[in-house]
Amino acid sequence: MVVLYSALLLGILGFGFGALLAYSAKVFEVKEDPRIEEIISVLPGANCGMCGYPGCEAYARAIVKKNEDPGKCVPGKASGVEAKIREILKKKVE
Amino acid sequence: MKIFLIFVSAILVHNFVLQRFLGICPFLGVSKKIDTAIGMSFAVLFVMVLASSITWFLEGILRALGIGFLRTIVFILVIASLVQFVELFMKKFSPALYEALGIYLPLITTNCAILGLAILNVQLEYGFLEMLFHSIGTGVGFGLALILFASIREKLDLQEVPKSFQGTASALITAGLLSMAFMGFQGLVKL
Repeated sequence: MVVLYSALLLGILGFGFGALLAYSAKVFEVKEDPRIEEIISVLPGANCGMCGYPGCEAYARAIVKKNEDPGKCVPGKASGVEAKIREILKKKVE
Repeated sequence: MKIFLIFVSAILVHNFVLQRFLGICPFLGVSKKIDTAIGMSFAVLFVMVLASSITWFLEGILRALGIGFLRTIVFILVIASLVQFVELFMKKFSPALYEALGIYLPLITTNCAILGLAILNVQLEYGFLEMLFHSIGTGVGFGLALILFASIREKLDLQEVPKSFQGTASALITAGLLSMAFMGFQGLVKL
């Protein structure tokens, strides 16, 4: 009985809170430019800070929002990250 | 009357940070500026009151089913979900505060002050109203300690401190002195 009750209670609680969080994630969703996500996936993700921003995410945000120069990523120079970012920036915002 | 005494005692006499020494991590981490300290206090107060209310009801269920050994994991589940909720809410309505609190916001999940409060409410066998005021008092007490400490640290930044005492060293000494000052409230309330 103890096993059944434990599993049942934790299952119900986990499901309940999970549903609540899923619902509130929809309600409180922050709409962001989808290009930011794309640029983050193109950047090396080393968070080295050589571009002058604290991490790749902050740099991607600055490229889209503050028109920052996309050629500041030093570790990504060899693999042509700059060209990829420019490609993403050309896409229109839906 | 007893409820009022519990409330005052939770703020001053049994202050969570300065007397029970719980929740020291955010106490030292987010006390550099008063603004972030106030934001953190409200986040903690909200999570504390809601978490201890929910866990109080869950404790009844746990006892009825005879599975009290699951207390810790169930309480942590409640607290973690609530912190996630606060995080989502704050990201939407106050991005600046979200950025300022940084890692300390998700760290409320593992904050011993909140789990400590939930377990203390059970151990002291409080009724619902007593539990509610104990939780609010504890949250207010945490906020009071944090804001007092932040304002002292802001002042301290303007003073010339010997090099070996700069930063965290003087902050820890200040925290110790503040804790000693709060010992003066011992005996104010007899419960």
